[in-house]
Amino acid sequence: MNRKKIILVFIILGTFGGFFGYKMYNKPHIDVLKSSTEISISANKILDEFSKDETAANKKYLEKVILVKGEISETKIEREKGVITLKTNDNFGNILCHLSTEATKKMSTFKIGEIVSIKGICTGFLMDVILVKSEIIN
Amino acid sequence: MKSIFTILFCLLFAMFINGQNRYLTKSGAINFYSKAPMEDITADNNQVLSIIDADKGKIAIQILMKSFLFEKALMQEHFNENYVESDKYPKATFAGDILNFEAINETVSKQKVKGNITIHGITKEIVIDANFTKTDDSILVDGNFIIEIDDFNISIPAIVSKKIAKRIKVTFDFNHKPYHK
Repeated sequence: MNRKKIILVFIILGTFGGFFGYKMYNKPHIDVLKSSTEISISANKILDEFSKDETAANKKYLEKVILVKGEISETKIEREKGVITLKTNDNFGNILCHLSTEATKKMSTFKIGEIVSIKGICTGFLMDVILVKSEIIN
Repeated sequence: MKSIFTILFCLLFAMFINGQNRYLTKSGAINFYSKAPMEDITADNNQVLSIIDADKGKIAIQILMKSFLFEKALMQEHFNENYVESDKYPKATFAGDILNFEAINETVSKQKVKGNITIHGITKEIVIDANFTKTDDSILVDGNFIIEIDDFNISIPAIVSKKIAKRIKVTFDFNHKPYHK
């Protein structure tokens, strides 16, 4: 009797473990639209922070879902995905927002000079602050 | 150690600021592909920064590790947290010379690029073959090369070693446009 119970417990544990492992293995990427914005900031401010102290800004912003508000200075399509550039007071650095497939479809409705809020995941700073998987929230 | 390379890179970068004849892309594409018995792994980065100084025949490339997007979120997490430790080493860089740059023209030609690649804090000198095409308003560069994971102190735990190849194929594709600032 006891042995049968033990085997049963192991089978149940094994099934749960397998199920859990399967779920973890296939766990989804962050859904930018559904997740709550962790940080809301202006284009000027985030570029300023990265320019002044990149290491500190990395700790604060990397891999976070950020809502950046700024003025569109350029829109273009690169490799079938939209890229919106938000300008800043800095002459060299902007915010490059690489759009999701869905947001790319909406990009043509926005014009240069418009103020927009874009939500995306920050991957760091090269010449500009870069967001990926971005959605236009307006 | 990291700061030295940052300074070196900034110096190389600063040299470019004085140049007249520069080409740049902020949307360079790099893909890496690993074929292993258990699983094929591939990731794409479409935010690569690359600058060519046409006067000197030099090229400098900066890559954000967190910009490599994988199909599976768990793989991306392992890549960042365990393998390349992108919180510690957020960028990979390459700086070098395009040998025989003067020979590049509108007809695509294969040239050698020799320079230093830095990944996971380790710098190695490499020579890469790349296809170059130069027109009035663009310099196209594409090609591929192999990276040995062991060269860069990237350790793969034995438990997943069958899933990740030791030799990774890296494919790149850049369309540089004239850059004036």
